[in-house]
Order: sequence, then C-alpha cells, then structure tokens
Amino acid sequence: MALILTDADLVIAAVAGSDAAYARLVDRHQAAVRGFLRRMLGGSGSATVAEADDLAQETFVTGWRALRSLKEPGGVRAWLCGIALRKARDRLRSLRRGAARDGAWLETVSVPPGIQPEDRLALTAAMAALPEDVRACVALCLADGWSHGEAALALNLPLGTVKSHIARGRARLLAALGGSDDS
Amino acid sequence: MTAEQKLNALFAAEAVPARDLGFQADVVQRIARQRAWATVAALVPWLIAATALLWGVQPVIAAAADQLVPVLAPVAMILTLVAGSLVVAVWLTRRLGRA
Repeated sequence: MALILTDADLVIAAVAGSDAAYARLVDRHQAAVRGFLRRMLGGSGSATVAEADDLAQETFVTGWRALRSLKEPGGVRAWLCGIALRKARDRLRSLRRGAARDGAWLETVSVPPGIQPEDRLALTAAMAALPEDVRACVALCLADGWSHGEAALALNLPLGTVKSHIARGRARLLAALGGSDDS
Repeated sequence: MTAEQKLNALFAAEAVPARDLGFQADVVQRIARQRAWATVAALVPWLIAATALLWGVQPVIAAAADQLVPVLAPVAMILTLVAGSLVVAVWLTRRLGRA
C-alpha cells in the first residue's frame, strides 16, 4: 500500500534535503499557485498564461530556498500563495497591465457552452480592474474554492477584510457579466 | 444562464490541470540549477584557501620533489611494467579460457 504523506511530512523531508519530496509538493500545489497567478495577472490570453506560469516556477524556486523559514509545515499551500502574491504585485507594478486586453485571441479562445467569448473578456477585464487585494481574495475563494480563513492566512489579511473583499469583488464581477450588483 | 452561473462556469473552465509533469520538470530543473550554482559558490572559499595553502607550501613541495624524483622515476617505470604485464595476463587468460 502506498504511503500517503501529508504536506507537513513532505516539507520536513524537503528541508532535510529531499528534492523528491519538494517535487511532490510542487505536484500537489502547482494548480493552486498557477491558477491564482493567472487570475492575479488578469487574463487568460496566452501571453499572460505563460507569464503566470513563469512566475509560478519562480514562486516554487523561492519557496524551495526559503523552506526553512516556514513556521507551519502544514500550511505550505497558503505560504506558497503568499510568495506568489508578492511576486505578482512586483510584476504588476512593472507591467501595469490595464483592464483592456488584446482581443486578438478572443475568437480562438474556447468558452464553456452557453457562454459568449465576450463574457470571458468582460470577466477578464473586470478581474483586472479589481484592486489587487480584492482580486487576490476573489481568485482564491471564488475561483479556487479556498476557505476564507486559509485565504486570510495566505494574503496576510484579517478575516473580516477577506469576507468584505469577496463580497465586493463578487458583486463587481456579476455586474460585468450582466447581473445586478447585489445578486 | 444567470450571471452567477456564467461566473462559476468561466472560473471552472480556467482551472489549471491538477497534474502537469512538464511544469513540475521545469521547476525541478530550475532548482537543480540553483543547487549547482550554490555548490559552486560554496566551493569558492575552499578553492581560495587551497590555492593560498599550496602557494605557501610550494617551496617545501618543490624541495621534496627534487629529492623524490630520482627515487620515483624507477618505481613508476617498474609499476608501469607490472601493470602492463597484469593486463596482458588477464586478457590472455580470458582469451584462452574461452577457446
């Protein structure tokens, strides 16, 4: 029977020098970190996806270097997303991407059934227009299903702030998709 | 479709695959590169110390080498002959053993 190691076990093994253990942590959390960064950088255009993935790789390398400073090995996912957030802020500061994205990919991008490509663009623009902290809360809790507590830990924000950010961000995204602000 | 449903569907469609071996390999490669550079950086002080030490003891080594060369040259020649003989002997033993 294969032994299922917890995140804490893998962190301890990685700190002791096991690259295999860290590779398993990357495997477990790459989807969360990449998804978060894609949403933080504000879009699903191919350039942004590549940029976000590159930043996600940097996040994991930084995490590997700083692993000894991780206080709670069980909270490695939130810790990695905290690193990713700082990197995303730096990147956004240097890029200053606006909400209006290049629409060239609009016709080729696939969207779920029943949804227009314009809706995706509207969502992308609305996400990019959100303040960074609000966008981070929305990306983690609404898009990736994190608990408010875990998001508060990752983003180093009070729980109440996370809740209000999510409510505000959700209202603005729904408005961008044709719903009412208070829906 | 309501705005809420659209939002959920779009978020779900953008989800990153749970496993991506290519991404994982890229990260591992970057870490290996970092580790290699860190190893090189860690060796630099030792290299400097060893160079300084050798530079310091170089007169002693040179003097000792001058004394040892006359002794070591015949010893090296004998050892070379013995090693050559052993190689030939082993090769012949295997060759004849197969025949």
